[in-house]
Amino acid sequence: MDFKELDPILHSQLRLAVMSLLISVKEAEFTFLKEKTNATAGNLSVQINKLKDAGYIDIIKQFNNNYPQTICKINDAGIAAFENYVKALKSYMSL
Amino acid sequence: MEAEEKFMTETESLQLITSMINKAKNNFSERGLLYLIWGWVILFCCIIDFSGIYFFKYEPIHFVWLLLYVILIFQIFYIRKQKKVRTTKTYTGEINAFVWITFTICLVLVIFICNIFKQYQLIDPLLLMLYGMPTFLSGIIIKFKPLVIGGICCWALAVVSPFINVEFQVLLLGCAVIAAWIIPGYLLKQRFKNEN
Repeated sequence: MDFKELDPILHSQLRLAVMSLLISVKEAEFTFLKEKTNATAGNLSVQINKLKDAGYIDIIKQFNNNYPQTICKINDAGIAAFENYVKALKSYMSL
Repeated sequence: MEAEEKFMTETESLQLITSMINKAKNNFSERGLLYLIWGWVILFCCIIDFSGIYFFKYEPIHFVWLLLYVILIFQIFYIRKQKKVRTTKTYTGEINAFVWITFTICLVLVIFICNIFKQYQLIDPLLLMLYGMPTFLSGIIIKFKPLVIGGICCWALAVVSPFINVEFQVLLLGCAVIAAWIIPGYLLKQRFKNEN
């Protein structure tokens, strides 16, 4: 059987959790991701930036009622990477 | 959640994906408020309109429907406020919004065309048919059966309406909003309470 390598960017607990949340919605605010993952703001911020640097998500920073707002959105490359990751996982699981 | 370095097995990865997708899915935001407001106001207008015409033959009572403009303005402000506090944007929410926009445009066009051709007797049956469309589709989109049933009830009433005397047709509209918006509205409110 041909094993696909697991994407190291996605094979991390918090980054995978973020990607799983983002694949389910059109876009999500930082606060939503923080609440659902129970991560600290600092750790989440670092991981989100890693996903952005990998080209998997887009981050939009804006102001809402004078408060800064960070919106995250998975992009086409992110969707493809997530799908490949799940396929790779399945290939391991079917052992 | 713990730091990123924690090793995950393949099973743990799949479990994490499933759990996060479920968490996002359960972020249920429909609290039924707009269904309830529109439902009760339209029901009120139906009863007043019918009573005014049937019991008192008082034609200006039709102006009671202008109350809907007040609700429309309230809705615009409510949606704007909701957008500010919302933390996610979902695909289903977006499609649902377009369904209701389509409904509003069709509603305005139907009333406009019927008035131009002075076919007033067609307004209520066509409105019943139109009420069914967004209600049924919203039920399918948010997977909420009472709305689906409500939409079907509207279509059933639309079938009945041509056989009913014109002055009683407005009461069918009242029945339609009870089945399509008021009952599902309360059930949505209950579901929102339970899930949040």
